[in-house]
Amino acid sequence: MVTLVEELVLLAIEDDGSVAYTAGAPGFGMALIGAALVELNQLGRVDADTVALRVLSKEPTSQPALDRVLAELAAQEELPVDQAVRALFIHAPEVVRLALAALAARNILHAEEKRFLWVLKSRRYPITDGREQKEAKLRIMQSLLSDELPTPHDSALIGLAAAGGLLEAFLSTHEIARLEKRLEDIGGLDLIARSVESAIQDENAERAKAAMLPPY
Amino acid sequence: MDMNTENVDGITVALPSGRLDFGAAAAFQQQLEQAVATKPRGLVVDCSSLDYVSSAGLRVFLVAARAAKAASVGFAVSSLKPAVKEVFDLTGFGNVITLCADRAAAVAALA
Repeated sequence: MVTLVEELVLLAIEDDGSVAYTAGAPGFGMALIGAALVELNQLGRVDADTVALRVLSKEPTSQPALDRVLAELAAQEELPVDQAVRALFIHAPEVVRLALAALAARNILHAEEKRFLWVLKSRRYPITDGREQKEAKLRIMQSLLSDELPTPHDSALIGLAAAGGLLEAFLSTHEIARLEKRLEDIGGLDLIARSVESAIQDENAERAKAAMLPPY
Repeated sequence: MDMNTENVDGITVALPSGRLDFGAAAAFQQQLEQAVATKPRGLVVDCSSLDYVSSAGLRVFLVAARAAKAASVGFAVSSLKPAVKEVFDLTGFGNVITLCADRAAAVAALA
C-alpha cells in the first residue's frame, strides 16, 4: 500500500531516477505537506473546516513522514489549513527524505549516489519496477478521462498533483489545458486539498510579485 | 450527530442533524451505505438540520455518491445551511453531485 505522500514523491521521479524539476518548486513541498494532512485527517489525527486545522490526537501513525508533520502541527498554534501548510512548508524536505526512505525500505525504489566530474555528487532514486508509479498515473488518467466520481484518495491525489506541478511530469501542457475543467471538478473535492491549492496559488502569486519588484 | 430516514415515493430521504466531523463520519457513512444497499429509487440527503461539516464529514458525501452511482441509485443533497453550503461551494461538490435548494426539488430531481 503506497500512501498519498509516497505517491506524490513517486510522481516526481523521472524514468532515469532523477527528481523532476518541479520537485524543487515550493508548490511541490506544499502539496506534500497537504498530502500528509489529508492522510492524517483520514487517520483521525486531525480534522479541518474553513476556519482551522485541528489536532484531534497526537498518537503516532507508524508512518515517519506523517508523524513528523503531526509533531510539528501539534507544536504550533491552531491555524487555517492554508496558513498551516505555509508554516509547515519548511519541513517538506524532511518529509521527502522520510518518504523516500520508506519507499526504499519496501524496495519500491533505491537511492543511488553518483559523482559528476569526480567532485559534484548527484543522487538519483531509480524505481525498481515502476508498478506503483504507473498505477498512480493510470488512476489519475482514468479519473480525468472518465465521468466517474473519483475515490476521496484519488481526488486528493489529482488536486495535489495538479497544484504541486506534478502533472507536467507526464502530461503535456496542451493535455493539461484540455483537461482543465475536469481537473477543476474532481481535484478539489477534498477540503484540505482545496485549501492547499489556495495556499500554493497565494505563495506563487507572492513570489511572482516579489520577482517583479526592483532590486532596490 | 443523529440521522433519521424517511421514504418518499420509493426515494429514501436521509436527515442528518447536528455536527458531521471526524467522530461522526464513520457512522454516517455506514448509514448512507446501508441506505444505498436497500436499492431505493433514489437517495436524498436532506441537510436542513445539519449545522456543521468538516473535511472528514465532507468526504462521506463523495463516498456515498460513488456507492449510489455504482448501485445505479440516484443521489442528491438538499437544503444546505449557509455554513455547510460554504464548504460544498468551496470544494465544488455541486459540479459533480446534484445539489438542490430543498427536499422537494431533490426528490423531484430523482423521480
